[in-house]
Amino acid sequence: MEWALALAAMLAVVAVVFVARPFLRDPAPASDRLDELAPEARQRLGLAEERDRALAALKELEFDHRTGKVSDDDYRAQVGPLRRRAAEVLRALEQGEQGRHERVADRGQPVP
Amino acid sequence: MIALSVAAALAIFVVYTALAGNGIADLTPSTLAGHAGDVSLVGKVVGNPQGNAAYHGGLHFQLKDIGRATPARVPVVYRGSMPDLFETGRDVVVEGTLRNGVFVAKPGSLITKCPDHYAPAKSSKT
Amino acid sequence: MAPLGRAALLLAFGLIAYALVAGSYAAWKRRRRLALSAQNALLAAFPATLIAAVVLLVALGRRDMTFVYVWQHTSHKLPLGYALSAFWGGQEGSLLLWLLVLTGYAGLAVWLNRRSRELMAWTVPVFGLVAAFFAFMLCFVSSPFNVQPAPGDGRGMVPSLQNPYMLAHPPLLYLGYVGLTVPFAFGMGALLSGRTDERWIVATRRWTLAAWMFLGVGQLIGAHWAYVEIGWGGYYAWDPVENAALMPWLAATAFLHSVMIQEKRGMLKVWNMILVALAFNLSLFGTFLTRSGVIDSIHSFAQSSIGGWFLGFLTLMVVLSVALIRWRLPLLRTKTRLESLVSREATFLYNNLLLVALALTILWGVLYPILSQAVRGEARSVSKPYYDFFLHTFGLPLLLLMGLGPLVAWRRASLRSLGKTFIVPFAAAIVTGVALLALGFGSSWPGLLAYTFGAFVVASIVLEFVRGRAAAGGMLRLIGRNRRRYGGYIVHAAVVLLAIGIAGSSAYQTQRERTLKPGGSIEAAGYTVRYLTSTGVRGPNYTGFRALLAVSGHGERFRLNPGINNYPIEGQSNVASIYHDPRSLGDVFTTAHLLNKRGTIDLKVLVKPLINLIWVAGFVFVAGSLIAMWPDAVEQRRLAARYAAGAAPAGI
Repeated sequence: MEWALALAAMLAVVAVVFVARPFLRDPAPASDRLDELAPEARQRLGLAEERDRALAALKELEFDHRTGKVSDDDYRAQVGPLRRRAAEVLRALEQGEQGRHERVADRGQPVP
Repeated sequence: MIALSVAAALAIFVVYTALAGNGIADLTPSTLAGHAGDVSLVGKVVGNPQGNAAYHGGLHFQLKDIGRATPARVPVVYRGSMPDLFETGRDVVVEGTLRNGVFVAKPGSLITKCPDHYAPAKSSKT
Repeated sequence: MAPLGRAALLLAFGLIAYALVAGSYAAWKRRRRLALSAQNALLAAFPATLIAAVVLLVALGRRDMTFVYVWQHTSHKLPLGYALSAFWGGQEGSLLLWLLVLTGYAGLAVWLNRRSRELMAWTVPVFGLVAAFFAFMLCFVSSPFNVQPAPGDGRGMVPSLQNPYMLAHPPLLYLGYVGLTVPFAFGMGALLSGRTDERWIVATRRWTLAAWMFLGVGQLIGAHWAYVEIGWGGYYAWDPVENAALMPWLAATAFLHSVMIQEKRGMLKVWNMILVALAFNLSLFGTFLTRSGVIDSIHSFAQSSIGGWFLGFLTLMVVLSVALIRWRLPLLRTKTRLESLVSREATFLYNNLLLVALALTILWGVLYPILSQAVRGEARSVSKPYYDFFLHTFGLPLLLLMGLGPLVAWRRASLRSLGKTFIVPFAAAIVTGVALLALGFGSSWPGLLAYTFGAFVVASIVLEFVRGRAAAGGMLRLIGRNRRRYGGYIVHAAVVLLAIGIAGSSAYQTQRERTLKPGGSIEAAGYTVRYLTSTGVRGPNYTGFRALLAVSGHGERFRLNPGINNYPIEGQSNVASIYHDPRSLGDVFTTAHLLNKRGTIDLKVLVKPLINLIWVAGFVFVAGSLIAMWPDAVEQRRLAARYAAGAAPAGI
C-alpha cells in the first residue's frame, strides 16, 4: 500500500501549494485589503436594481396590456407613475455617476 | 396580513385536532398492557406463525419488543392481505385493539418494516 | 486502498476546516489573499473527496470484502450495477455522497462567482461549515473505510433494492437535498457581508431551480418504485422518510416564487432569507430523519449512532440562521408595501403561506410521536386522515391559485379587467364541474374540486400561451423571450396533471378483494377479472407462483399474472401485475396470494383511474424546469453589467 500513501502524500502537497498560492504569487502586495462595496457603491447598486425593476415593470405592463390582461383604463392609470418612477431612478443614477466621475477626475485617475 | 393568515392556519389546525382526536398511540408489547381502544403495535415476530390471514381463523403470531430483551409477548390475530417479507424475525407494525389478552388486528393494517438498512425502498402495506 | 480513502477524507476535512476558519477570519478582517486561499481550499476539497469516492466505488466494484462497508452491503453474486449502487445504500456511503455533491456544487458555485469577492468571502466559510460537519463525521465517526480480515461472502443486498430505481432514486434526491445548500450559503453570505441587494438571488436562481427539480423528480421516482415494485397499490404513504423529502421541496417551491417578488418589487427580503434557511434546514432534517431511529418509520433503522450528531448540527444551523436574520433585520426591511390584495404579488404571497403551512403541518405530523412521547410519556402518531385533511385544505386552494396567479396583473388588478380575463377559465371550470357532477363524480368532493380547479388552471394556462403567442408573434419566440415565465407555466401544467392523477387514483379508485378458486372472477369498475389457473415460477434466487388472470372490459382484453416470489433468505415478496390502459391512462392493479395447493387464491384488484398522469407529469415537470432554467444571453449580460464592480455604467 506504499504507493497509495505516496499518492496521498503527493496530493496533500499539491493541495497545500494550491491553498498557499495567493501568498506565493503575491508575497508583498500593494494592498491586501479585500474589496468591499463602499456605501455609495451599494447605494448605486440598489438604484441599478430599482432601475431594472422599473423598466421590467414597464415592459411587463406593456405585454400584459397587449395580451389583454390589463384593461386600457388600468394601463393608462399605471403607465404614467411607472414611467415617472423609472425616470426618477435613471436621473438619480446619472447624478451619482456624474458625482463619481468628478470625484475620480479630481484625483487625476482614469475613470473605470 | 401575514399575521392574519398565520392565525387562520392555526385556527384550522386547532379545530382539526379538536375534532379528530389526538392520533393513535404507538405501543410495544411491553407497553401495551392496559390500553383500550385503537392502538398501533410495533414488534418483532417470534415463534412460528400459525394459520392463514386469508381464512376466517386468521393468522396467529407473537410479537416481542424490538431491540430490548423484555419478556413481554403479545399474541396477535390478523386477517387481511399479507405484506411483503413477513416472516419470523421481521419487525412489523400493526393496528388494532387488545381484547382479552389477544391483540386483534385491524384487517389489512399489517406492515413489515424494511430490514435494517439505510434504504429508500418502502416495504409493503395493504 | 482503504488507507488512501481515509487519507483523502482527512485531506478533505483539513481543507474544509481551513476554508471555514481561515475564510471566516479573512472575511472578518478583510484580508484578500487569505480569502482567496480559503476559497482555493474549498475548491480543492472536491478532488480530495472524489478520490475517496473512487476508492469506495472501486472496492464495491471489486467486491473487496476487507472493506467492512462492502461486506455489509454487497455479495459476490450481486450484479455490478447494484454493487456500485451500494455506495449510497448504507450510512457511511451516503454521507460520502452528500459530501461529494456538496463539495462539487460549492466548488462550482464559488468558482463561477469568484469575481464577486465580497460575497464569496463570506459564502466560502458557510459552505465550509456545512461541509465540515459531513467531513468530520466521515473521518471520525462513521467511516466507509473501516477494514477487517477478509471474511467469506458479503451480507448481500435486500432483493427489494435490486432494481433500477435504486440506481436513480437516491442520487437524484441527493442532488436535490444538497443543492439547497447553495442558495442557503449565498444567502447567509449576503447577510454576513451586510449586503441587501439581490446578487445572492441572481447568482443562485438556477441552482435552486435545479435542486428543486431533482428533488421533485427523485420523489416521483420513489413513488413509482413504491407503486410498481412493492405492491401495496399506493405510491405515497406519508411515511416520515417520504415526508422528509416533501417538506424541503414545498419550502423550496415557496422560495422560488417569493424571490420573484423580491426581483419585481424589492419586497420580502426578510421572508426570502427565512425561506431559504427553512428549505435548507428541512433538507438537513430530512437527511437526519432517514438516518436515525428517532422517528418510527416503516423503514426500520436501528438507533443510529450518528443521530445525536445530526441533531446537534441541525440545531446549530437553525440557531445560526435565526441569529443572522435577526441581526440583519434592520438592513433588510424595506418600505415597499403590498399595493392591493388583488394583485399577482398577493397571489404569490397566498401561495407562499399555503405552501409553508402545508410543510409545517407535515412537520408537525412527523414530530408528533416524539413530542407526545416527551410530553405525555407515550408516543402517539398521526396517520393518513390527518395528512389528507391538510393536503385538501391547503392543496386545493394552491391548485386554484395556480390558475388565478397568471391571470392577475402585478401591483393592482381592477375587478373589471379581472372579470374579462377570468371569464373563460371560470366558465371552463363550471362546465367541467357540472358535467362531472352529472356523471357521478360527486362521490368525492375533494376529487371533484381537484378536477374542477384543474380545468380552471389548464384553461388559464392555455389562454396565457394563446394570448402570449399572438402578442409575441410565434410560440417559439414567446417562450424563448420569456423562458422563466412560460417554463413556469409548463411546470404549473405538470402540477395540474399531478393533481388530477392523484385525485383520480385515490378519490375515484375501486378496490375489490376476494378469495377465488380457479375459474372464479371479480367485477371491478367495468372490468371482469377471471382467474384461470396458477403456475409455479423459479428465478435465480427465488421460487414462487403466478396467478394467471384474463381480464376484459371497456372494450379491451388482456392478461395479468400477479403472484409471490419466495426468497429463501429474505422471505416472500408480492409481485403485482399492472395493466396500463393507454386510452384512459388508468391502471388495473392486481396482487394475489396462494392459499392452498388446489390453487385457491386471495385476489386483490384495484382500478386506479388516471394514475399514469402522475408519471406523465414528471416529464412535463422536467421539461418546464429546463425551459425556465435555460440561460438567456441577453439577461446574463444585463445582470453582469449591473454587478460589475458594483457600478452602473453611465447610460443604459
